[in-house]
Amino acid sequence: MVHNFRSDLTVDWCPGCGDFGILTAITKALGNMNLDPEKVVAISGIGCSGKTPHYLNIAGAHTLHGRSIPYSVGVKLANPNLKVLVMGGDGDMLGIGAGHFVAEGRRNSGVVIILYNNSVYGLTKGQAAPTMPLGEKVKSIPRPNIFTKINPIPLAMASGYSFVARGFSSEINHLSDLIQRAVNHEGSSVIEVLQPCPTYNDVNTLDWYRKRVYKLEDDKSWDPIVKNKEEEEEKFDNGYQMSLKWGDHIPIGIMYENNTIPSFTKRLSDIVPNYLKYPPSEQDISDSEGYSILDPFETFIERRID
Amino acid sequence: MQETDINLLVGGPQGGGIDSSANMINMAFSLAGYNIFGVREFHSNIKGRHSYIHLRVKHERPGSLKYPVDIMVALDPDTLFEHMLDVSKGSKIIYDSAFEKFELKQARMITLDTMSRIRYELENRKLPLNINGVLEYFKSVGVILVSLPFDKIINKNLPEGPATRYYNTLGAGATMAIIGLDIEHANDGIKYAFRKKPAVIESNLKVVKGGYDFIKEMGLEAENLEVYPVKPRMLLNGNDSVAIGKLMGGLRFQTYYPITPASDESNLLENHEEMKFLKGEAEKLKTAGLVVVQTEDEISAINMANGAALTGVRSSTATSGPGFSLMSEGISYAGMTEIPVVVTLYMRGGPSTGLPTRNGQADLLFAINTGHGEFPKMVISSGDMEECVYDAMKSLNYAQKYQMPVIHIIDKTLANTMDLVPEIDLKKIKIEKYEENKNHEDYKRFSLNTDTGISPYGVFGKDIYWITGDEHNEYGHITEDVSMRDKMMEKRRKKLETADREIPLNDKVELYGEKNADITYITWGSQKTLLLDAIKELKKNGITANLLYIKMFVPFASDYVEKVLKNANTVIDVESNMNAQAAQVIRMNTGIKIENSILKYNGRHMTLDEILKSTKKIMKEKTEVEVLENGS
Ligand SMILES: Cc1ncc(C[n+]2csc(CCOP(=O)(O)OP(=O)(O)O)c2C)c(N)n1
Ligand code: SF4
Ligand SMILES: [Mg+2]
Repeated sequence: MVHNFRSDLTVDWCPGCGDFGILTAITKALGNMNLDPEKVVAISGIGCSGKTPHYLNIAGAHTLHGRSIPYSVGVKLANPNLKVLVMGGDGDMLGIGAGHFVAEGRRNSGVVIILYNNSVYGLTKGQAAPTMPLGEKVKSIPRPNIFTKINPIPLAMASGYSFVARGFSSEINHLSDLIQRAVNHEGSSVIEVLQPCPTYNDVNTLDWYRKRVYKLEDDKSWDPIVKNKEEEEEKFDNGYQMSLKWGDHIPIGIMYENNTIPSFTKRLSDIVPNYLKYPPSEQDISDSEGYSILDPFETFIERRID
Repeated sequence: MQETDINLLVGGPQGGGIDSSANMINMAFSLAGYNIFGVREFHSNIKGRHSYIHLRVKHERPGSLKYPVDIMVALDPDTLFEHMLDVSKGSKIIYDSAFEKFELKQARMITLDTMSRIRYELENRKLPLNINGVLEYFKSVGVILVSLPFDKIINKNLPEGPATRYYNTLGAGATMAIIGLDIEHANDGIKYAFRKKPAVIESNLKVVKGGYDFIKEMGLEAENLEVYPVKPRMLLNGNDSVAIGKLMGGLRFQTYYPITPASDESNLLENHEEMKFLKGEAEKLKTAGLVVVQTEDEISAINMANGAALTGVRSSTATSGPGFSLMSEGISYAGMTEIPVVVTLYMRGGPSTGLPTRNGQADLLFAINTGHGEFPKMVISSGDMEECVYDAMKSLNYAQKYQMPVIHIIDKTLANTMDLVPEIDLKKIKIEKYEENKNHEDYKRFSLNTDTGISPYGVFGKDIYWITGDEHNEYGHITEDVSMRDKMMEKRRKKLETADREIPLNDKVELYGEKNADITYITWGSQKTLLLDAIKELKKNGITANLLYIKMFVPFASDYVEKVLKNANTVIDVESNMNAQAAQVIRMNTGIKIENSILKYNGRHMTLDEILKSTKKIMKEKTEVEVLENGS
């Protein structure tokens, strides 16, 4: 029987919300990959975006505002056999959780971060999110935004993520492809997803995006993949330049992929040789009678005096 | 012959070899069959400021320290100033003769506030503001000065030098000679202390011999000290003991953000990431390994540990007050989503950054009340090395059995206490896991079909279910239904009631000493062994005392504590905080107000002498609160 990756829960996002497209793209990607449903998990923060795991028929943790990344890393490192999808809003990932967003780049644990960019704090009624440009005035805020915006793509690249891409919630097949690429990528990925929030953001609407968005894949000369260290500098530079394009034409697609950065699980298995074979979640912790298998007088020999 | 019982203090600049000095002394006496008990005190500083180790050497295992000390080793002039009042008639002070020219104002590393206190002590006695002033004071009270020409002795025995590198060895050698340990055992101690650096053993042995010779020349050598047979023991501090307990208890995931006095635990774990020497036939058992992650902050540390626990692994984090503050929201989440996680909370002096490297027990009420909302958690506390080991194991058990966060509290004194542990019983604590989910078809993670409040635990990787910090239904989906809310709140509470019912009384509280006593002490944490020693001392003076020692604050053994206190005579609460927090917990749970307390919040460990003195004062003068002031 084919597993239905959508749970039977009623979705409570506003009509026309970009989150629907993202949910569809995730469900589609999971179905296409034919993944064992027990071996993929969804972890989210708090926000409209944070509800996504409940709508997926896989194990899901709807965690704290800004903390989805630490949860996902805990799951991934304890059981590296799992595919871990992380969902968070722009406030969640780049506001309250920005420290974790940067730190995960340094780890590159192998989680797939889907960053829902609607430029607002949806669930708290439309305050400006860290991705809203300076001076933008959407209907839910009383005066034009007084902060400049963070561009998540170069931030992710500079932090060390080895797969960085941008998608659009209404380009479902394209987004689904990006998610599949990311799931198969060994290190950590960030996919920024542009999404309309019709309830609060009346500037970056569906139409606004539709008119501007174009796919990088349509340009056959675009090659963002670093295959060896020599290419690193040039491709980083290309990805950076590409990520800055905003205005009448907004590129979506893979901005940067670097397969020369070892993942955290790989780094761990250099220290604990059997880590991938017997990760923490697969180990026995007691003998057949239920007692400790570790005798401190043997293991901590450096503390022993006799 | 009176039993050998020596209190000694080794002081010097932070990073200047006092650890090495104490280590040689520890090894030598351990190998001669003695017990060692010591506390390390240091500034929040890496190099230069005054630090010291307060040690006790005794055949019968000691659990406390005393002032005045019998021997003081000063590796710098600051030590003589700082500890001027920590010696008395008959104490011996070992120091470098070169210090004699030192002026107080040259002691730049002594903080201005301490400096003015020392100046006051000297001026008050009309003594010059220099080492000579201090030495004059020592002589006037009958302290024996052991002035050693450090450079000369070292150069004579080890001409290749450099002399400065061997000051600590000379200090240790002179100390052992004065105590009367035979040089063979001293040499064994040196060899053991440097067993990983064989190249330096020979030179250190020469310096030790120089120390012995000089002490002999001075006529200060004691007669040969008795030695005892030696069994294998481990020299552990509280950090080590918790780390060991966690590994024994099956920990496989630890997170931390560096903070004193917690990080040493994680460092030890990191050192043992590839776990070796396991007892097991199967390859799987033999090849265990744990993951230790140094996170970006404590918020990440708690939440990452929570995440790991979702896969079924035993996971924990360790921190101190400032980090614990950041963990509150994550602990509340673990309570709500029934995640088994252990947080080891090392208490230091607060509030805020407070006294980063000093002792405190002021986070008890905070630990009990941490996290918003009402949710079950357990709060337990350890008071000696063995408890640190076994409680760490038990914490991991409790967390998984009752599916809730467990906060395990250790105070800084205990974390930095050195103690020789003769035995760790592998069969004392059985590893108890969560009740495993068997229904993979229609799994309700938060099933209400339970009398204990505990629902079978499914894990990410095997089961499909949801968790959320929002109120939820049995599947883990969000709900705001009034009746489901009540049921879930009550289910979670029930787990704590189950824990309270199942956990035996002596894992919660212990009454040491005679049932009917003149004095009943109440304490928790590192004062446990101190008060057990105090009870023995009081007995010598015909006063009977017992100790109501609290190990578990949530759930709390209310009925038993109430019964003991209702039948007690004079009750004295002893804690290292200002507000007598354990006494508040007792009052909250039993309604009993404890009138007398001995409190200390200057950040230093309590000592036996001040306990005895303040107890006498409470008994004689009926004072209610005694605030202790010992320490440098
Ligand atoms: C610690 C904390 N602070 C504040 C909140 C309130 N809060 C809930 S959702 C949210 C913002 C959500 O915005 P975003 O992350 O962009 O997600 P979106 O709703 O736009 O998908 C905030 C601030 C919270 N839940 N927790
Ligand atoms: S508020 Fe915006 S982001 Fe949230 S559900 Fe409604 S449309 Fe979507
Ligand atoms: Mg948002």
